[in-house]
Amino acid sequence: MDIDRRAALQLMASGAALALASCGRPAEEIVPYVNIPERLTPGIALRFASTLALAGYGRGVIVTSVEGRPIKIDGNPRHPASLGATDVFAEAALLSLYDPDRSKAVRRGTGVYSWDAFEAALRTQLAAERGRNGSGLRILTNRITSPTLLAQIDTLLASFPEARWYRNEPVDDDAARAGAARAFGRPLSAIPRLADARVAVTLDADPIGPGPGQIRFGHDFISARKSKSASEFLRLYAVESAWSLTGANADHRIALSPQLVHNFALALASALGATVPTGELPAGAARFARAAAADLKSAPGQALVLAGRSQPPEIHALCHWINAQLKAPVDLIEPVDPVPIGHAGALRALADDLAAQRVETLVIIGANPAYDGPGDLRLGDLIAAVPFSAHFGLYADETAMRCRWQLPMSHPLESWSDLRAFEGTASIVQPLIRPLYDTRTAHQLLAILHGEVSPSSRDIVVSNWRARSGSDDFPTWWRKVLHNGVVPDTAARPVAAPAVALAPIAPAPEPNSFTLTIAPDPSVWDGSFANNAWLQECPKPLTKQVWGNALQVSPADGKRLGLVDGNMVHLEIEGVGIEAPVLVRAGQPDNVVAATLGYGRQSAGAIGNRVGFDIFGLRTLDSLWVRTGARLSKTGASQNLLLAQKHFQLEGEAKELQPRTSLAELAAGKRLADRSAEHLPTLYPPYDYDTYAWAMVIDNAACIGCNACVVACQAENNVPVVGPDEIAMGRDMHWLRVDTYIIDERPGFSPVPCMHCEHAPCEPVCPVAASIHDSEGLNAQVYNRCVGTRFCQSNCPYKVRRFNFFGYADGQEYANLGAEVVRAAFNPDVTVRARGVMEKCTYCVQRISRARRAAEKEKRRIHDGEVVTACQAACPTRAISFGDLNDPHSQVNELRQEPRLYELLGHLGTRPRTTYLAHVRNPNPELGGPVS
Amino acid sequence: MSVTAIEEVTPVRRFTLPSGRSYEKVDDLVTAPLIEREAWSWRIWWIAFAASLAFTAVFVVSVVWVFIKGIGIWGLNTSVVWGFDIANYVWWIGIGNAGTLISSMLLLMRQRWRASINRFAEAMTLFAAAIAGLFPIIHLGRSLYFYWLTPYPNTMTVWPQWRSALIWDFWAILSYLLFSILFWYVGLIPDFATVRDRARNPRQRLIYGALALGWRGSARHWRVYQLYHIAMACLGVPLVVSLHSVVGLDFAASLMPGWSESIFPPYFVVGAMYSGFAMVVCLTALVRWGFRLQPLITTEHFDVMAKIMLAASIIMGLSYLTEWFNAWYGGEHAERSLVRFAFTGAYAPLFFAMLFCNVLAPQAFWFGAVRRSIAAVFALAVAINVGMWLERILIIWNTLSHGYTPSMWRLYLPTIWDWLTTFGSLGFFIFLFLIFVRLVPTVSMHEVRDLVAEEIES
Repeated sequence: MDIDRRAALQLMASGAALALASCGRPAEEIVPYVNIPERLTPGIALRFASTLALAGYGRGVIVTSVEGRPIKIDGNPRHPASLGATDVFAEAALLSLYDPDRSKAVRRGTGVYSWDAFEAALRTQLAAERGRNGSGLRILTNRITSPTLLAQIDTLLASFPEARWYRNEPVDDDAARAGAARAFGRPLSAIPRLADARVAVTLDADPIGPGPGQIRFGHDFISARKSKSASEFLRLYAVESAWSLTGANADHRIALSPQLVHNFALALASALGATVPTGELPAGAARFARAAAADLKSAPGQALVLAGRSQPPEIHALCHWINAQLKAPVDLIEPVDPVPIGHAGALRALADDLAAQRVETLVIIGANPAYDGPGDLRLGDLIAAVPFSAHFGLYADETAMRCRWQLPMSHPLESWSDLRAFEGTASIVQPLIRPLYDTRTAHQLLAILHGEVSPSSRDIVVSNWRARSGSDDFPTWWRKVLHNGVVPDTAARPVAAPAVALAPIAPAPEPNSFTLTIAPDPSVWDGSFANNAWLQECPKPLTKQVWGNALQVSPADGKRLGLVDGNMVHLEIEGVGIEAPVLVRAGQPDNVVAATLGYGRQSAGAIGNRVGFDIFGLRTLDSLWVRTGARLSKTGASQNLLLAQKHFQLEGEAKELQPRTSLAELAAGKRLADRSAEHLPTLYPPYDYDTYAWAMVIDNAACIGCNACVVACQAENNVPVVGPDEIAMGRDMHWLRVDTYIIDERPGFSPVPCMHCEHAPCEPVCPVAASIHDSEGLNAQVYNRCVGTRFCQSNCPYKVRRFNFFGYADGQEYANLGAEVVRAAFNPDVTVRARGVMEKCTYCVQRISRARRAAEKEKRRIHDGEVVTACQAACPTRAISFGDLNDPHSQVNELRQEPRLYELLGHLGTRPRTTYLAHVRNPNPELGGPVS
Repeated sequence: MSVTAIEEVTPVRRFTLPSGRSYEKVDDLVTAPLIEREAWSWRIWWIAFAASLAFTAVFVVSVVWVFIKGIGIWGLNTSVVWGFDIANYVWWIGIGNAGTLISSMLLLMRQRWRASINRFAEAMTLFAAAIAGLFPIIHLGRSLYFYWLTPYPNTMTVWPQWRSALIWDFWAILSYLLFSILFWYVGLIPDFATVRDRARNPRQRLIYGALALGWRGSARHWRVYQLYHIAMACLGVPLVVSLHSVVGLDFAASLMPGWSESIFPPYFVVGAMYSGFAMVVCLTALVRWGFRLQPLITTEHFDVMAKIMLAASIIMGLSYLTEWFNAWYGGEHAERSLVRFAFTGAYAPLFFAMLFCNVLAPQAFWFGAVRRSIAAVFALAVAINVGMWLERILIIWNTLSHGYTPSMWRLYLPTIWDWLTTFGSLGFFIFLFLIFVRLVPTVSMHEVRDLVAEEIES
């Protein structure tokens, strides 16, 4: 080999560069794998089935793990409460795993102790309890559906016969249970089969809103609205006292106070033949009730009525009567939560025990009654007075602060357990990672309480299922269950509907003061997710508020009290008052203020502390969801509400931004015409896409506004959280937003990722060619080439680009999000962006690459449906489709032939690759009203 | 002092100097501050210098802080990704236009009165363009890579993206800056020679001698100089027009409502000339007062500059009307909505202030008494500069705050750093200008001597 002077210098330089730039020695000792764990190939992700709980009910998930650390949660297609999709809470559970504020060690007061120390103290305490048959032992939990845990509790209670177990879930279902007991004589759970329905009426019910059934109900709701024929298309009437996703997605919505919703139910029942007294009802509502009743009657076997948790048991019972008349597609099952006593009742019993000082030993597992207990019980003070109390939870929360012992609980992704879905299906919770800290699972704690030493939760769960499996070959059965994530044949079987008794019922009087309605929050649920930054920064579907909550008041009330958005009010009920900011929103019934749970936490952690206001204090055990007799007064102060979107109304020509159509118009052959872009003249030469041409079609009609895509995108693409101060400056980083527009008083959602324009306005303006068009039509952003002129975002008509004004993921993180443990949540396939660069939706290019690698290995093209973007995977209603335009049979090509297809701002000639299908409504011609 | 004692003489003719001036007197007037340092009182200069130095320090701190913390310290947001940074850039580059216009355009049009003011107008141009050139670098998210905008050979074999108006901008500023330096310096050579010849201090002789590059004032020197000067002026006029046209294209070559308008290049050129002239008026008034140049800079100069500003204000008014008319006539919803937002939105008070400063107030220049009142012209020129700055920030704010997608409509909230950077850059400009007047003849002596010669002949 000849080496001339040049080559010699090159070699020397490269040698020197290698020596200088070679990876430095890490600060601490690291040990490489000597024996690589089986199945682990560095860089190749593994996926495991598990289950996550919301309000105690399981939702199956598939968790992606890279080199032993979970990085993404997707839905489990085999699980009936997931069907492969997720909700915001499931997506965000990942961040909770790596939350630096998690409880990490056993504590008593300010001291750190070992589990041994606690167990020793507990043994002494339990010895005393054993002497008195456990009469001083009380256990408080949230809702438990885990068969193993229930069995353990039974065992424990058997050895302490006088001990009591109470369970309380802040988002309860007491009214539904009591209503079913009234109607059927026992508390059956009613599970609507929305997919089979043609007409549905909801009375303050929010099946497709946040909750353990959201994914399933959302899916069923949209699958009932896929048809092009009116006779097979679900028509939804929503009667509600505060905006919900169900109301937003309904064909007809009427806003009434909870009392008038009650009277509406009576009017509906009487129109369907019930002999019930009818109360006061406005003329419009009465007409609405008649039209809905007629529609219900026209679809026997396919019509149903649902009552919500804020309606009294009588209304639930009345709905069961109506459903029985209509032969409604509603399955009645034995409750998955087997505790006969109601949630409020359990809490009252506990409070009575505490007040009477009958409690010597209190063990709280997961629950946080000091925060989420009704204000009138003052549970925090009562708990603090217990001689021996232990709080076992993920966080040292408000309740833990009042207990003697604070015990750290393992995160579900670190735990063995099992759960049942809202409709009964059991599934296994399997750990993805060894506990990050010295934590235990609830199973271990129960075993410790039972006197076992060093219990293993896996053994506990496995032995429970060994007995239940009924299989001769348990190891094979178990492996299959773990693989599939679902225990076969465990869905609750519908029971034959007993005859429904029509109980006497009185109309509700219209109150002469404000009524407060309360609902779980779409972002932080009951407050248990308050320390999750992804959820805090996830814009609430209808108000777009982030990092806080607000009282919603109607425009008429706002005008009367001189309120505008952000004004502080004093809300007082029976002497208890809070101060809260208001949002004035059309569609909120007059004289009703709406609030959501979950804010105003004091001991949530660095993210959730002191965000928003706490409404739990205004709840009482008797009326958890609706309170009458509220007084509202303006304080004169104001707060800057953090809203990710501030303009909702579209009028005139702007309505083209979110076109809406109706089933009737489509039947008449209407096509949405804004496809002229393909014919607009252009100076640019056409691109030649000779491999793939990626495109996305988003069906607005199928978007229920649940935000799962927003959080899924954040998790997949390492999208940083910016924090409330940055949001106040108008900055945010979500690559995908859900534009919510109100046209003719009806809201509509459309998810807006990057349009990946063929003639992208961002590309020609970048001076350094950081924004480029790739050979498959992706509009790519080269982060390490970007110098941060921001010209691309200036010129983007969709404003979908996001700029790192600070190092949001690069040394200037919000609060504790820069902690080392949080970095474990990053997806290693996606660059973590530095300060000063622009970023945006990539169509999940890393997933395209993965599919391409797989296809190239097999020497074939990527199949249609092989690339699934994160937003698409998360969507419960399958509103997002993604694929290759060069494949003539691809789903996106098929959808692009739909008459509802339109391009957002297509007249600008940008030729977006992301296209939309317009909203469809199916209004009742008799009700007329706004159609679009 | 004694050397430059001034007699009150009224000018005999428009645009000429008080008769009876001699070459000697002109040179005395201009060079006295430079070579009679001890006799000349610098007290006010020092006060001004200290103040400008303080603001310069503010500017330096603001810029360093941006480099340390990131541009998030400004009020930018996801929708309004440009703010004071770009507005300041456009404003400064506009100021930077006037010197060349005065030197070149007025030279070609034989407006001889320009001789008294062109020197510091050119210096103003140079400094303003230099400061303007800083802003695009400071405003980058990653300023350390600003050189990626240049076509330098690199191992990545990546070149700039030539379709981007920012690249055009880069070249426009660079060539304009180089041109300004050449034009200004070569124009200074005969005057440096004058200072060299008059200086008694050997150090001054040496320094000014070196700067004069061996100028002897021979007929051949003058011939070459005149040819060069005219040729540069011929180059300068298209350059200055192209410079601000390109700045206009930064906005016009987009597809945002309120930006994508073919009127932008000429409208930006006129706007630049307008604000530049206003700044020249301010500086003229100050230099005239500070260096007692009343014999060389007369009220007639203010009169004629006021007329130019009047004409420009009318053109600006027409441009605004054209924009509004076209927004309506074009029928595009977003454009109409934007004009409505300008008049009724959150920035409307600023918008009306801008219309008042740029269009309404300068109409006072129709009155001769106003044009010849230096205080009035000065006050209106300040108003015009404020108005033109408002125009630049509103072009950015309105369009970016009120684009095509209502879901992303957001307002800009300026922070303290926005203001510090803006006023700091103003202080830095004054700092540079004060150094200039201390070291360099503020008036083009050889050109004024030409005028004197003509007068003597006539």
